[in-house]
Amino acid sequence: MIKYFTCIISGIWNLAKGLFVTLKNVFVKPVTLQYPTQKLEMTQRYRGLVDLYPEKCIKCGQCVKICPTACLDLSVKAGEGADKKKEFGHFKYNMELCCFCGLCEQVCPTQAIYMNKIYEIAVYEHGKLHIDLLDKDKYDEWANPDVK
Amino acid sequence: MIIPVLTLIIMLIVGAVVLGFIAVSAMFLIWWERKVSAHIQTRYGPMRVGWHGALQSVADVIKLLLKENITPSGVDRLSWWLAPFFAVVPVVMVFVCIPFGNIFGIELIARDLNIGILYIMALTSICVLGIFMAGWGSNNKYSLLGGMRSAAQIVSYEIPLVLAMVTAVMFAGSLSMQKIVEAQKGLWFVFQPNMAIAFAIFIIAGTAEVNRTPFDIPEAESELVAGFHTEYSGMKFAMFFLGEYTNMFVISALAATLFLGGWSGPFLPPVIWFLIKTYGLVTFMMWIRWTLPRVRVDQLMGFAWKVLTPVSFANLIVAGWILMK
Repeated sequence: MIKYFTCIISGIWNLAKGLFVTLKNVFVKPVTLQYPTQKLEMTQRYRGLVDLYPEKCIKCGQCVKICPTACLDLSVKAGEGADKKKEFGHFKYNMELCCFCGLCEQVCPTQAIYMNKIYEIAVYEHGKLHIDLLDKDKYDEWANPDVK
Repeated sequence: MIIPVLTLIIMLIVGAVVLGFIAVSAMFLIWWERKVSAHIQTRYGPMRVGWHGALQSVADVIKLLLKENITPSGVDRLSWWLAPFFAVVPVVMVFVCIPFGNIFGIELIARDLNIGILYIMALTSICVLGIFMAGWGSNNKYSLLGGMRSAAQIVSYEIPLVLAMVTAVMFAGSLSMQKIVEAQKGLWFVFQPNMAIAFAIFIIAGTAEVNRTPFDIPEAESELVAGFHTEYSGMKFAMFFLGEYTNMFVISALAATLFLGGWSGPFLPPVIWFLIKTYGLVTFMMWIRWTLPRVRVDQLMGFAWKVLTPVSFANLIVAGWILMK
């Protein structure tokens, strides 16, 4: 009989505790974001799309060598100047193959190649995934999806 | 007997007002429930349609109206078609004797029946029939199980519910809703110790009556898909939904009338007091829903028969002793 009553009382007490927990949550600011209008800042080491500072690049080709999926394609030609400094032929990035491992970023001796913070990377055409890294405006459309 | 035309017109107007109120109230409650649940889970809930998603329910209703009404093969036609009406019509009929208070001296009650409580109890018991018909008619094992569970649950919880109501009726000395409100002019019933227990029993049993968590085993999503309304879609499903939310309003309105003094209160107009109390209790039921997990069937039955029924009987005896003293 005593057990019967203690059971009821402990039930009520536990119910009140649970209700208090949920009540506290009501006054907490929601943790979710209103996605298309509010966007989450990506973390510092987030690996988005491969990007390049062409002026820093020394055309050593280490990124091309280390890439496990062979998604980078670099061609170099001799410069026309007196010192015959190497110049870009082309530097292509095939995002269809990229596995976002970040090895190219790690191996680069001058930090010329890096991974940016773009994460909305769905497209309607295959062609858009073949990116020319030397093009300055290559990621404009990706960074601002509203720009058509 | 020929009903005079004027009476007919008044009947139609009152009926339209009540139906309009029910529809708007149900839509508001659906939006409110989504908001309450969202904030309890630290989300925003609907935000896009209208101010803070206020028109989300309107959009949902339009969607449900436009949806195809699918009738699965092998259903029991009669009970399949009638079930949604059985779920809604009795709940709407209850509104006949719910006292909303008064505006400019006009009593906002369709008809103050002298057997009001009895009438309400009789009608709310019919809802289980709708659920069971839906379960039986759907030709689906989940629906049938949901209907069976619902019948067992509602029949069990009706006993403590009625006993709790009888306690209030004994103190008021009348079955009429208006007289019960008037009896609480001095002190609300809930402030008397044994009536507070009756109020708690009423809220628990009422939550079970309207099939809400923690007593939502008739439509337990994780085990029975959606229970009795698994096979329903479009407007028929919307009618079950309307019935469920209106039922919640009715149970809260009853609790407010029987224990919290109904429309009586200081300063504010009676209608406002009634709506504050009712929607407050509805919010409390939502709060409970988003706090507690679902109970098992055996726990549910055990709780009804081993705890609620004896406690409400004991409470009734104490009430009788207080009145006889």
